[in-house]
Amino acid sequence: MFSIWKRELQGYFYTPVGYVFMGVFLLLSSVIFFLTIMQTRSSDLLAFIGTMSYLWMLLCPVLTMRLLAEERQKRTDQLLLTSPVSLPGVVLGKYLAAVTVMAVTVLATGLFVLIVALYGQVYPGELLVGYLGFMLQGCAFIAMDLFISGCCTNQVTAVVAAFGANFVLWMLDLLQSAISVSWVNALLSFFSLYERSEPFLMGQFSFASVGYDLSFAAAFIVLAIHHLDARRYRGA
Amino acid sequence: MIECKGVTKRYGAVEAIRNISFTAPRGQIVGLLGQNGAGKTTTLNILTGYMPPTEGQVLVNGMDMLTQARACKRAIGYLPEKPPLYDEMTVRSYLKFVCELKEVSRKEIPAHLEEILSTCGLTDVSERLIGHLSKGYRQRVGVAQALCGDPPVLVLDEPTVGLDPRQVVEIRGLIQRLGAGHTVIFSSHLLSEIQQLCQRVIILHRGKLIREADMAELTEPSDVLVLRAAIKGRQQELLPAILSLPCVRRVTPLKQAEAGVTEVRIECTRNTSPDAQTALFRLLCAMEAPIMQLISEHDSLEDVFLQATAAE
Repeated sequence: MFSIWKRELQGYFYTPVGYVFMGVFLLLSSVIFFLTIMQTRSSDLLAFIGTMSYLWMLLCPVLTMRLLAEERQKRTDQLLLTSPVSLPGVVLGKYLAAVTVMAVTVLATGLFVLIVALYGQVYPGELLVGYLGFMLQGCAFIAMDLFISGCCTNQVTAVVAAFGANFVLWMLDLLQSAISVSWVNALLSFFSLYERSEPFLMGQFSFASVGYDLSFAAAFIVLAIHHLDARRYRGA
Repeated sequence: MIECKGVTKRYGAVEAIRNISFTAPRGQIVGLLGQNGAGKTTTLNILTGYMPPTEGQVLVNGMDMLTQARACKRAIGYLPEKPPLYDEMTVRSYLKFVCELKEVSRKEIPAHLEEILSTCGLTDVSERLIGHLSKGYRQRVGVAQALCGDPPVLVLDEPTVGLDPRQVVEIRGLIQRLGAGHTVIFSSHLLSEIQQLCQRVIILHRGKLIREADMAELTEPSDVLVLRAAIKGRQQELLPAILSLPCVRRVTPLKQAEAGVTEVRIECTRNTSPDAQTALFRLLCAMEAPIMQLISEHDSLEDVFLQATAAE
């Protein structure tokens, strides 16, 4: 698993994918920083983080598109699946590589925090909770998009399908306000990753939300493993 | 050693291979022969644990591929039909990655890598990106990755397809050298290649194993010697004269290619005294009918293969 993680991590930077992800993420987050902090002369970093969370929807598919779809397209999965590494090991290694790139990129936004700290007031506890929620949300999105990548044989299909799924997840919030049937409403809000992260954005640590994000990620990782295994049996 | 016991694979309603059983002992090169779509790749994919069989069992050195997958997979090096290469990596970093996958201990990796690079003739290109290599080199990197971790069993799926004649000779040489200390199973639809390299042949046809035998046994000369001759002279005179020789069993005229030259296929008894060729030469000398061409037909793997597949 470690060797898979290492190779994937190197892979992000042997190809432009890692640079594109980091570059676009940091560019967009600086625009958000400008709009939410500098222009409004506010030091509310949680508002900044809250807006940044929409970047996951857009950028996680870039991070995950290669992971499983490309292996299948180039038939390099034959190397991985005939090696002593187990299928869960392969999927987890890849997942953790994507999470690592995500985490490093998020850490780079610490620069914005420094800027705010120079000119205003930063509340470390609140900030840490905000960042924790933000990263967990990223982990959840990556897991779902990884599963989608596993279902596709082509990187382009993988990225488009993942983007579509992320978009649906975001729209759950909008649908929820439009639909007045209570049980549908409850169902929609159950699946809304954005609603789950609201406590974090108010600076509250929520075990329920942490648990939700983690189990959301775990569920999709298990699904991805199961899907790949089933495909081995089908031989497709 | 690798054993395949009653392996069947169904893709939905389609049966790709049915009830295939064979054993490949250590130190032997086993050739898997079959037309395109005969089930060679499916068989190899199952042997290497890439996909599980619908029915049956694969044993690697006595271990079950399903229940002891990790130990089995460590014992197998696999070169699939299309080498599983990452274009964005250099040859060295790729092989290092494969060594790590195959659980070669960190300390041994550098020496092991150098050995594989030199065995496969890749030392000069070790720092180049795989994506920039020619097809022949890519194939060699594919063979090299199968050697990582020094597995006792090597499974190679059509290792010489698409290579130029010189590279084909090199890869065959490499397989032959590896055959001494490993169990090698390789598939091919090239009969000459199998004939040249293998000690044992398995013939697949439409997903079924139709013949399994030692190479020597398959191509063993029978007591009938078949000669093809082109002789200057008239067919009406030559045929009865040749048939009158005691060692000749049957003479069949072939299509005439050149005016005044008779082409015949002669079936003779082997090991007579004088031998058939000498007797024929003496006879035709006496008749003043010059021999333009005389060749003896070998019972080649091709015949065996055609017979076996035609019988189905």
